[in-house]
Amino acid sequence: MASEKNKNALAELSSRLTDAVKSAATYTVAIHARRRIPSSGIIWRDGIIVSASHTVRRDGVVRVTRPDGESVDASVIGRDASTDLVVLRANDLKTPPASRAASDSGDVGSLVLAVGRPGRNVTSSFGIVSASMDGWRSAQGARIGPVLRLDLAVYDGFSGGPLVAAAGGVIAMNNSALAQGTAAALPTTVVDRVVDELLSRGHIRRPFVGVAVHPVALNSATVNRHHLTSDSALLVVSVAEGAPADESGILIGDVITRVDGKDVARPVDLLDAFSGVADGASVSVGILRGGAPHTVSITPRDRESAGATE
Amino acid sequence: MNASFMGQFSSDARSLAGLLRRSVVEIRSPNGSGTGIIWGAGLIVTNAHCALGGPIQVDAHGKSWSADVVAHARDHDLALIAGASVAGPPLELRDAVTLQIGELVFAYGHPLGVRDSLAMGAVHAIARHPRSGDTRFIVADVRLAPGNSGGPLVDADGRLVGINSMVVNGLGVAIPALAVQRFINRATSRRAA
Repeated sequence: MASEKNKNALAELSSRLTDAVKSAATYTVAIHARRRIPSSGIIWRDGIIVSASHTVRRDGVVRVTRPDGESVDASVIGRDASTDLVVLRANDLKTPPASRAASDSGDVGSLVLAVGRPGRNVTSSFGIVSASMDGWRSAQGARIGPVLRLDLAVYDGFSGGPLVAAAGGVIAMNNSALAQGTAAALPTTVVDRVVDELLSRGHIRRPFVGVAVHPVALNSATVNRHHLTSDSALLVVSVAEGAPADESGILIGDVITRVDGKDVARPVDLLDAFSGVADGASVSVGILRGGAPHTVSITPRDRESAGATE
Repeated sequence: MNASFMGQFSSDARSLAGLLRRSVVEIRSPNGSGTGIIWGAGLIVTNAHCALGGPIQVDAHGKSWSADVVAHARDHDLALIAGASVAGPPLELRDAVTLQIGELVFAYGHPLGVRDSLAMGAVHAIARHPRSGDTRFIVADVRLAPGNSGGPLVDADGRLVGINSMVVNGLGVAIPALAVQRFINRATSRRAA
């Protein structure tokens, strides 16, 4: 019977799954920062824990249950609203950070386990990656990279825990808030980018230009004359005083047609165009003013340091 | 994991379904229908909530019998049925204490009246008694529906680890196989006495 068991592919997969959960348990912590059930967190780097921001309901010091069951203090050092990610720092975590899975482990159809620690013990659910939403945007409209949709059960303490490959290693951080309460996860590449920026800057850089725009239809004569690819452009309906757009000379009533040589037809195109601009760099913006083409140069500022509101 | 591993995986899952098919029955009562497990000569175990409340009918292998509940424990949601002359190999039991989180498990039964359905999932958590440390429930990340009640939850080797009894927050909750065995031992010793 014993030799027969070794040939059973179900038993083989099963034992790999339990190994993957045991390994994930060594870097999955419980975070006590909301009422009732604790949420999960991942030891991401030495002394650094990541979790889902919406589950950490206060700033400052929170209690964290380590994989060995001991409780330690951790302090919130930064949050990003658009990816719903929070970074905490804790000493004495005792166990090494999460190991990463092979880069193709999050491809659609991959067998995955969601691991959580809503208290002392780990819990797990099993399923597949059902989609990778590449053009995923936050509620504010910012493009933040792919988000994985998962075909597996969401349970208490799911958010903030690791999504691990059946063969072991972390693929993503689970967060049901990314997809209206259904199972979703933020890939390690996105988590790394946000963690890097939060650690170095304390917040996420978001380009601020200081215009409000509304899409407008252009007639075909205008489209042809200015060699535009789209028959809509963006009418400037307000300009914040002293903002980069104001300094560049943009006026209410201007119609923005291009940013950095690319046509813009929807407000999100504008957001995407400015997101790609490096810190402190300027970008050329094509406008129509009274039907005549002009080009202005705008240097987007960091929204946070600009102290600007929406 | 190569293609032949997945092929082997698939074929092993099919044989598991074939194995379980011989050991389960469908229970029909005025309360609706559920699944039952053949436990030995003429004995079938299921959930109390599937079997109580009136005359019951046991369907298996294309035949149908009327049968009686000979013992039940409402607090454990278990019932023992006799009277159906159905035969099948009893399942090997496995102590839930040895289960590990993430281990593959399979549920077999008749969800929403769909006969002989297999569902795959993983052990999600083991709920223990706070004082004694005994296993109270097995919580499994496996999709269950009404009709799965009373049916087997087995491991990758086809050993019975529990009886599917409830769905809580989308997770399946099963009564450990050894608790079922204790219930049956009590019930049969009472009958003999």
